[in-house]
Amino acid sequence: VSFDHLVDPRLWAPLFDLSDPTHAQASWRFLARGMVLTLQITAISAVASLVLGTLLALLRLTRTAAVHYPALLLIEGVRALPVLFIIFFTWAALLRVRDLPLWVPATIGLTIYTSAVAAEIIRAGIGSIEVGQLEASRALGLSYPKTMRHVILPQALRRMVPPLMGQLITLLKDTSLASIIGMAEFFRQGVILYNFWGNPLQTLLTVAAVYFLVNTTLSRLSQRLEAGHEKTQRVRVATAETTAA
Amino acid sequence: VRAVQDNLPLLLSGLRTTAELGLLALVLALVAGTLVGVLRVLPVPAVPWLGSAYVEFFRNSPLLVQMYIWFFGLPTIGVVLPPFWAAVTALGIYTSAFVAEVVRAGIQSVSRGHVEAARSLGLSYLQSMRHVILPQAFAVTIPPLGNLAIALAKNTSIASAIAVADLLYQGELINARTFATYPIFLAVMVLYLVITIPMSRGVNVLERRLVAYRR
Repeated sequence: VSFDHLVDPRLWAPLFDLSDPTHAQASWRFLARGMVLTLQITAISAVASLVLGTLLALLRLTRTAAVHYPALLLIEGVRALPVLFIIFFTWAALLRVRDLPLWVPATIGLTIYTSAVAAEIIRAGIGSIEVGQLEASRALGLSYPKTMRHVILPQALRRMVPPLMGQLITLLKDTSLASIIGMAEFFRQGVILYNFWGNPLQTLLTVAAVYFLVNTTLSRLSQRLEAGHEKTQRVRVATAETTAA
Repeated sequence: VRAVQDNLPLLLSGLRTTAELGLLALVLALVAGTLVGVLRVLPVPAVPWLGSAYVEFFRNSPLLVQMYIWFFGLPTIGVVLPPFWAAVTALGIYTSAFVAEVVRAGIQSVSRGHVEAARSLGLSYLQSMRHVILPQAFAVTIPPLGNLAIALAKNTSIASAIAVADLLYQGELINARTFATYPIFLAVMVLYLVITIPMSRGVNVLERRLVAYRR
């Protein structure tokens, strides 16, 4: 083991040498193109999964057995499979479609997996609200949709935010798997770059650091969101109290 | 279906590799994770900070990137790991960051009173850790650790990216050779479910037992 190679400035130069920035600029521009794709796939999958996940959760919550059990089977089955397997399967299944851009199977695969996880988070969030609340608002004469909208969902949503944000971070990390089916997202650009410069350790550590920065920024944001939420909630309670008084 | 029948030995050897990967990585994750988890609550300056740096770094970058660092990055400083062991290390260290979080939360769930009581009864910090805190923390950590083991079992599939001949890798190879996409992937799917579904059932049972035990 020798760490000379790790700290060799010539191997860091293609990324960080500012005295002659042409190489570094080219490297980072190349990586940035990958990051744009990574963020695009993440965003599309996140939105699609939220919609599909909500739908699946509602299907699972219905009492009709013919709807409930298929939804349950789908959610539990998909959650029990590796994401990479799902991405590969989607890719292989869509291979016969001509001229399909690679981001399509990647995004569909990620969305299938993430919607199942999101469905479970959403179902758990709704289920965590005591039955008593549902019964009380129904007894007070609110219809079922109104109970959902005004009593159950506002509380449940707040409980879902932290796990959903966690899943968003997982999703962003999982987009790196799209590189395995050949997509030129951030990680793959990194691999191409280190093969060009011949500095795998340095480039990979930089790539990991960028993922780290993006993800920690996301989790900071989610904490802010939660804190902000609580504050507005408290304000609302306070105003309710003063108006009541 | 012929394609599945003919290649069943290959698929089963892939399943075996997947299981070996998962078990070895789990042992590494539990050992390293418990150590780091304990480091994070030690009342010594700088040590908890190091622990959380470890956790944050390994949790917030993709496993695939880490696997490449172990397999393609480390040889440049003279550490050459064969693919299987690079995958075990990557999976184990990645999962250990999550284990550390669970262990830390478990330790902090033991009420302060117990710690103070143990210390005032004359137990040293390490003794109170060993005899009072960790045994109680252990019970709380079992269900989340079970979930991590399931996630680990699924993550073993990423080892196929560095050509470890696991279940997914074998499936891909057979698919590339036979083009019997649906039967092959269905077989691979069933084999994954055979591992993960009993595990999640097990976690559910443990969770219910734990609730009963607390009462």
